[in-house]
Parts: sequence; C-alpha cells; structure tokens
Amino acid sequence: MSGMDMLNAAEQRELQGRMERKQMKDFMNMYSNLVQRCFNDCVNDFTSKSLLTKEEGCVMRCVDKFLKSSERLGERFQEQNAQMAQQGGMMGGR
Amino acid sequence: MSFLFGGGRPQPSSAEKIAAAEAEIEMVSNMFNQLVDTCTKKCIPNQYREADLNKGESVCLDRCVAKFFEVNVKVSEKMQGEAQQRQGGAMGGGGGSMFG
Repeated sequence: MSGMDMLNAAEQRELQGRMERKQMKDFMNMYSNLVQRCFNDCVNDFTSKSLLTKEEGCVMRCVDKFLKSSERLGERFQEQNAQMAQQGGMMGGR
Repeated sequence: MSFLFGGGRPQPSSAEKIAAAEAEIEMVSNMFNQLVDTCTKKCIPNQYREADLNKGESVCLDRCVAKFFEVNVKVSEKMQGEAQQRQGGAMGGGGGSMFG
C-alpha cells in the first residue's frame, strides 16, 4: 500500500482511528447479516413463541459454520492478496 | 509554489493523503466483504447439519477465493484495455466523427 508510507505519525494515528471505527461498523454489519441469514435458514416454524430445540441447534451450527468460513476466507484472501502484490497488483499496480 | 514547465505538483495536503490511504483500505475491505458474502452463499448450503466445515465446503471456499481474484484481475484488465482503446480512438477518430 504505497499510499500509507507517506503519512507522518499524526496522520497515521488519524488513519488508525478511522480504521478502528470502520472495523467496528463492519463487525456490526457482519453481525446483523449473520442474524438474518441464520434466522432465514433455520427458523420456519411459528406454531410456538419460543425457538424449537432443533431451530436453536441449527442457529448455533449456522453461526459456528459462518465464523469458521469467514476465518478461512480471510486466510485465503490474505494469501491471494500477497501473491497479487508480488505480481504487481490490479489496475496496473503502483 | 511555481508551476513552471509543469515541474512539480503541489504536495497533497494531510487530509488528502489520509483520504487516499483510507480509500485504498476501504477498497480492499469492501472486496473482502463481497467475497465473504458470495462465497458463503455459493459454498455453504443452508442446512447446517454440523458446526464444522466439511472437506467439500472447505475446498469450495478456497477455490472460490482464487476464482474471485482471477475474475477481479480479468475484469480490471479488460476495463483498462477498453479505456485505453477509447482514449486512442477518441484522439485519432475525433476528426472523423465530426464529419461522419
């Protein structure tokens, strides 16, 4: 990331702050997507007010599975990114 | 600040530098979020029979990431090519189109 090397300490701190806020926002988005996905896929029985055991189990497995896939995707993403940076990047590289 | 012979652009301001770095990070982060979204939709069926990823799902995710990047590269190459073509065409064919 060539853009980042030219920032002085104060600018880097500012950038850091913005990145932290962005990470928080991203986390909240991921959380609400996850709730929506697992609810949509697991909860379809409205004959009672509380979750059925099987629905609860499904939701727990859904969350687990999703978090594990996110983790795996993150690892692969970093690998691909590193490879790409070596090869000169996208959009003509920098 | 002298602009004689185009020899030196004004230094980008602090705000501009931060904004540029932020934009770059955001681009990567958006790409990752899109990747997670589409690869989980394509690779993780919605039955959730077990909490762990099975072998098939894992392999699917790995391949999905690789293909996603490849598509990204190909699309960006093609768009760069088109942009260059259009630029070249506009400069060379600009006269023609006026009388055509």
